[in-house]
Amino acid sequence: MEDDCLGTDDEFYTSDQEDDYSIEGLEESIDGLENDESDTQWIPPKGTTTKVITQESLLAAQKEDLRRVMDLLFLREHHARTLLIHHRWDVEKLFAVLVEKGRAFLFAEAGVTLVEHQDNEPLLPSSTIMCAICMEDVPSDEATKMDCGHCFCNSCWTEHFVVKINDGQSKRIRCMAHKCNAICDEAVVRNLVSKSHPNLAEKFDRFLLESYIEDNKRVKWCPSTPHCGNAIRVEDDLFCEIECSCGLQFCFRCSLQAHSPCSCLMWELWAKKCRDESETVNWITVHTKPCPKCHKPVEKNGGCNLVSCICGQAFCWLCGGATGRDHTWSSIAGHSCGRYKEDKEKNAERAKRDLYRYMHYHSRYKAHTDSIKLESKLKETIQEKVSLSESRESKNRDFSWVTNGLSRLFRSRRVLSYSYPFAFYMFGEELFKDQMTKEEREIKQNLFEDQQQQLEENVEKLSKYLEEPFEHYDEDKVLDVRMQVINLSVVTDKLCQKMYECIENDLLGSVQLGIHHNIAPYKSKGIEKASELSACWVNKVNTSDKDLPFHCGTNGGSTEPEHPSGSGSSYESGCSSRKRPRKEGPGGGFFDLNLPAEVVDRN
Amino acid sequence: MVDFARVQKELQECSRDIERSGIKVVPKSDGNLAHLVGTIPGPIGTPYEGGTFQIDIALPDAYPFEPPKMQFTTKVWHPNISSQSGAICLDILKDQWSPALTLKTALLSVQALLSAPQPDDPQDAVVAQQYLRDYQTFVGTARYWTESFAKTSSLGIDEKVKRLVEMGFPESRARSALETVGGDENLALENLCSG
Repeated sequence: MEDDCLGTDDEFYTSDQEDDYSIEGLEESIDGLENDESDTQWIPPKGTTTKVITQESLLAAQKEDLRRVMDLLFLREHHARTLLIHHRWDVEKLFAVLVEKGRAFLFAEAGVTLVEHQDNEPLLPSSTIMCAICMEDVPSDEATKMDCGHCFCNSCWTEHFVVKINDGQSKRIRCMAHKCNAICDEAVVRNLVSKSHPNLAEKFDRFLLESYIEDNKRVKWCPSTPHCGNAIRVEDDLFCEIECSCGLQFCFRCSLQAHSPCSCLMWELWAKKCRDESETVNWITVHTKPCPKCHKPVEKNGGCNLVSCICGQAFCWLCGGATGRDHTWSSIAGHSCGRYKEDKEKNAERAKRDLYRYMHYHSRYKAHTDSIKLESKLKETIQEKVSLSESRESKNRDFSWVTNGLSRLFRSRRVLSYSYPFAFYMFGEELFKDQMTKEEREIKQNLFEDQQQQLEENVEKLSKYLEEPFEHYDEDKVLDVRMQVINLSVVTDKLCQKMYECIENDLLGSVQLGIHHNIAPYKSKGIEKASELSACWVNKVNTSDKDLPFHCGTNGGSTEPEHPSGSGSSYESGCSSRKRPRKEGPGGGFFDLNLPAEVVDRN
Repeated sequence: MVDFARVQKELQECSRDIERSGIKVVPKSDGNLAHLVGTIPGPIGTPYEGGTFQIDIALPDAYPFEPPKMQFTTKVWHPNISSQSGAICLDILKDQWSPALTLKTALLSVQALLSAPQPDDPQDAVVAQQYLRDYQTFVGTARYWTESFAKTSSLGIDEKVKRLVEMGFPESRARSALETVGGDENLALENLCSG
């Protein structure tokens, strides 16, 4: 939320002037382009709202939410946590309930009981109380009274906690009294359980901490396997694609690989289809019949309806039954059937058409995915070429256009390859069958395919120019290649952006069920890399808190200052046609004490 | 391990109070406090009045921190109790259990359930439907089941079986016929003759 410290994120949302090139005005925009893209390594701009939460920073990540609730309601931490867990860490929602229904309701609903204990006469250590659970008299110093006022002996409390923790209910352990809705103080739980079951106490702590990930729609585990241990927190827009600090890129919504402009549902269907080759199976079922003897699928390659399998068995093609070999054109010996032939032919045609359609899209999707793999190798050779060129005597020593062009190629190639499964579903019958008329579909398909085709052409051209042996060219020719690459980079970027706009507005935006197909927005600079959440300010801001369940050392590892340099970056320059409102970061919040003083001063 | 000290105390407490509550809890077999039998009288003013209902009680290892497992062994016609197995649908025996509850309070809740059925959250859909659509028949059936299964004074099922056997029916068939019609001798006879 506000841990982006500098409050400058309003800058990067607004600064897309740099991207307003037109091909005609290319000359003056080249410089802009190079500045713009000089960092092929995607550096998280200081305002990146997407954060990597590591084991070390998990506590820090939730501290801020906890503190907001604690400060506003004058609560102790465990009460704030209980409230937040109840409201799935949605601070805004929690505050909304507070405003609408009042403090008492908010507390009662979540199980927070704040009883002013009038009978607070300290129990004499010598006195005994009767524990209503084990029905024994116990010395009062071996009993614990919860915030709700219910008092039971420590061993009963412990046993209760153990059962609940083992039951997976760590996050909401209620008081033992009948109909008491109060949630037990986590410090008491930790304290009592750790005496006899230290492992379980650790587990309890972990469950509580991880509630921030598990019960929070803004936070998700990174889906890497083996798991990198990180979680990702996004702000505002839950439809996005993220790169974790472990390098894995994924769709935040479905946790599968990044797949835009496919929607999550489309991608899920597509992946499944590719996995089980269901079209092939479909074709086999329609075009072949299992031999009644050896059960191999047999395809009829012509002739009459008496088919013989390679195993020697003859059978009737129409009904699949075994027959004798004597037959005439009109009848087969020992057999007579022959209805519903028309029906079957229709089925066969349909299956064939569906399969061809799938194959069409799949082969293109695959071709581009394969190209991505091949072009990854290009990266190395390009590096060599660049260093070779740089070593030559030349006026022009800046070869950032090569690497920039390469990144652009990768990004566009990605978009292109995922645009095929998108088209397969957008114009197919599976998802939007009754949502468009045939004519509408045709028009839209043409519109989309024109764009796709343009993008494809330019991507291929870009690929071609990047593969040219420019290190051996003379200066003029290098300048020419440079111009082409820069030109094509701009064009493909624009085309990608336009394609996303078309998809979001003209295609998905126009069908009724399109609402279920929100897609991650186009990012001109590639998939956003989540920046590490610094774990350290917590130690400085919150040293007063004694309840830290695990220690976040000062060497938390993730404490780089968050790139304070550079003015408004235009990383969001991409398609901003999404109609879903995007909140501009409110700025304020906490100072990052790791930042150089002059940066903090700027605020 | 089950907290036997507490179970022992609960049993004592319960037997002290038996005159007033009518609720009895005894070990199923001697020396095993993890398996008990509870008895509750049918609440007055309900179709269960006059019956005595037996409930099988199994205590899980973590008792009292986990709820006891209770099941009717006496057949009961009630929307929240399975007419087949005797399973009870009651929140305090599940997620609303609290260690502060006892076997006696749990049995009292079961007794309260007998007087206040909750057909919207049924255990036995057939009974619940009858309760909602045809309350009179429901009351009749429930009373009849009470008469047939929950009363020691009423003619025992064995005697009915014996009489049917004397009429010439095989014992197993007579017994199952009686069971399917809920203990009504005439209905059972009809059933046997038609089948």
